Amino acid sequence: MNQPELTRCFHCGEVVPNGTHFTAEIDGNTERLCCPGCQAVATLIAGSGLTTFYRQRTAYSERPESPREAPADEFSVYDDENLARGFCHDREDGSRDAQLLIGGITCAACTWLIETQLARLDGVIQVRVNLQQQRLDLHFDPAKLDLSEVFQRVSSLGYRPQPYRASALRDQFSAERKQSLRRVAVAGIGMMQVGMFGIALHAGDLQGISAEFQGLLRWVSLLVASFVVWYSARPFFESAWRHLRVGALVMDLPVSLAIGLAWLASVVATLSGHGQVYFDSVVMFTFFLLLGRFLEQQVRMRYGMSWFDLESTLPDSLLRWENEQWRRTVRTELAVGDRVMLLAGDVIGVDARVVSGHSLVREDSFNGEQQPRRVASGDMVYGGTLNVDQNIEATVLCDFAESRLATLQRSVSQAQDAKPRLATLADKISSWFVAAVLLVTLLTALSWWYLDPDRALWVALSVLVISCPCALALATPAALTSATNSLQGFGIIVRGENALESLAATTDLVFDKTGTLTRGELLVGEVHNLGRLSREELLALASGLQQFSNHPVAQAFANIEPVMGLQSATSETGAGIEATHGERSVRMGSLPFCRGLLPEMPEPPDAESYWVAVCDDRGPLGWIGLKDTIREEAPAVIDALRQRGLGIHLLTGDSSDAGPRLAQQLAITSVTASASPEQKMQEVQALQADGAIVTMVGDGLNDAPVLKVANASFAMPGATDLARSQADLVIANGDLWSIIRGLDKAQQCRRTIMQNFAWALSYNACGIPLAVLGFVPPWAAAIGMSLSSLLVVLNSLRLSRDGDGHHDREKRRSPNSLTPINKLAS
Amino acid sequence: MESLYLLIPVALIFCVIAIRLLIWAIDSGQYDDLDKEAWRILADDESEGDQEPPRE
Repeated sequence: MNQPELTRCFHCGEVVPNGTHFTAEIDGNTERLCCPGCQAVATLIAGSGLTTFYRQRTAYSERPESPREAPADEFSVYDDENLARGFCHDREDGSRDAQLLIGGITCAACTWLIETQLARLDGVIQVRVNLQQQRLDLHFDPAKLDLSEVFQRVSSLGYRPQPYRASALRDQFSAERKQSLRRVAVAGIGMMQVGMFGIALHAGDLQGISAEFQGLLRWVSLLVASFVVWYSARPFFESAWRHLRVGALVMDLPVSLAIGLAWLASVVATLSGHGQVYFDSVVMFTFFLLLGRFLEQQVRMRYGMSWFDLESTLPDSLLRWENEQWRRTVRTELAVGDRVMLLAGDVIGVDARVVSGHSLVREDSFNGEQQPRRVASGDMVYGGTLNVDQNIEATVLCDFAESRLATLQRSVSQAQDAKPRLATLADKISSWFVAAVLLVTLLTALSWWYLDPDRALWVALSVLVISCPCALALATPAALTSATNSLQGFGIIVRGENALESLAATTDLVFDKTGTLTRGELLVGEVHNLGRLSREELLALASGLQQFSNHPVAQAFANIEPVMGLQSATSETGAGIEATHGERSVRMGSLPFCRGLLPEMPEPPDAESYWVAVCDDRGPLGWIGLKDTIREEAPAVIDALRQRGLGIHLLTGDSSDAGPRLAQQLAITSVTASASPEQKMQEVQALQADGAIVTMVGDGLNDAPVLKVANASFAMPGATDLARSQADLVIANGDLWSIIRGLDKAQQCRRTIMQNFAWALSYNACGIPLAVLGFVPPWAAAIGMSLSSLLVVLNSLRLSRDGDGHHDREKRRSPNSLTPINKLAS
Repeated sequence: MESLYLLIPVALIFCVIAIRLLIWAIDSGQYDDLDKEAWRILADDESEGDQEPPRE
């Protein structure tokens, strides 16, 4: 299948729209960019001499917002001492530490960019960005530097800074991770020590060793191994006991038994001077298991932003009417009944009732509708929506906990509880495996007790060690880690637990419309000329007029060179714009608005697009059709998915007929339009009740609960932070083919896990009978276990083989060249 | 062979020191961000030679 060659934006990797000319000089080359936002950031980066960023990055940056006309004082509120106290703390010498959460970090080079840029500010003592937690740690001198300046700098690089607020969950994550790392470290160093003594002891077994030194080495091994068992292996014992009390058999049980019995037997041998010691096996076993578990934990926590707080999307400050003037006030200090000013272009911070003024609010975050709603005195506006047109005054109705946004957040956490967990393969296999191993060990011990009581313990121990579930325990995390790394090379970030396993089993895909199958923004489509102007002249005029508008429609014209010489522009909320061009007055907007100037303005051509009229006082000039265009690759991707026998569904909150029309275009038969977030969840749950395994692809705030309830989920690159935090996979490169790539990799990963299990189980099937018959001494069992684990790891590494292009510098310059579109399509 | 009576305690002391050092490094946050440090060493930059680990 042939795909047209597309130019991708040098900064963010989105397709550069036709007819736009945004460029920047990067390292002597003129690079094309998609929008003024990317241009501003790229120019800033090049101007600061930081183009190393583009050479080093391994993923495209996120598309920044377009620079605002007037650099608002939106960050000045962070200079407020009360607010700053929430995320800063002072040191004794007068300097201050601040922690910021940075949105939009896609790879390690981003952290370098931010660090280097901030380090140049006067007053910065130390700056460091934590990639994993997307956190900026700043140590600075408050006398020389204002925090608002820091926010401003980070924001101008195209990232989204916000205060990092302490969270119990987040602290717990970090503490857990440190604890497991400490355990791995102790077990690793202990393994080296005991291994050293072990070699001496084994050599002694072969060539003879005096009882004195054998005793010495054994005692020292006992000392070190006991510490490792007590410190590092503790979680195995705790988990085994915890599960045993509720009657569950987990992998930790034979692990604990093997470690515990081998240690106990070796202690007895050391004390009595009879029998073998296996301290080296005990410690090695502990180390490898802990390492496997640590890797698994890493995968789970990677990009784990599940603690994301919706409240943090609201502005931190609002203008409040106090003492006969408007003053910037911290949002949390607002009380019910306070009068606030909601500025045009800002996110509304509270649920409020409008008392004066009128404007348009864009509520696509709640309902997916692209057309803004008109509000006037007496209407409700909601926190988290966008005031697009004019300043309005309103009274506060409730605090955050009772707001509509908080309700949405609660439904997300309910969705989390409702999510059906697919039992992982490892869970399924482990419980019967554990039962079998315990049974075999018990029978072996009993039989040998009758045959040869002296050897009973050692043979039983060999059985436990050779059946060591180390390879089994590593089978899943090793494959998942490998697949996750490989997908990251393709611009797909995996962060959900079990995401890949659920994805591999997917039977149905559910798509959101706006921003997922479509680009999520209005673009100029058809143009009907009615007057003497050419298409280009008409668009230039329209672009000139829209410069004076905050209406979302204006974005469609942002990439078109505007006409010069427009004067005395006025805009009427929800109607249109009027201006004078030369000696003529021109209007652009709705039909009634244009008919106000020119009564003979004709009807729009059809109902397919969103039509905007343009006329002057002499005659009609034309109709410009705006459309949320479908992503180029969408039809081919949907076809490819259908060919795999997957069910395709469309769920949209949009109530217009755009949804059904899009479905028709893509031949999707299952469509639900104007669905609320709750209805979307119910739709997905209904599918799940019929036995389907559902993968959801979405982007909006309103998609967040349904992304959570689906078995696996993708968030698109333009997704809101909430949606992103609920999705299992985030597509960072804006390419729908990533869904297919993800599915392929998930299935490949599943196959690899199966192979790993097959190997581990067949190894056990051969080894256990030999051990039962007493042919395998525990040290041989320990070596066999390590080799079998190594094989599992090597097999898993095959998963990352084809996806890794990181060594190639040329490819790194344009991360998307890693995903040749036509190769995927064929 | 009697030297073992000296060498083994010495080895154990080194072992304890190594563990203490590692735990100190973990607690002071040096292992918080493994992905990034691997990358940082390859980045040729001028301003970061003097960085100390972040405090928790």
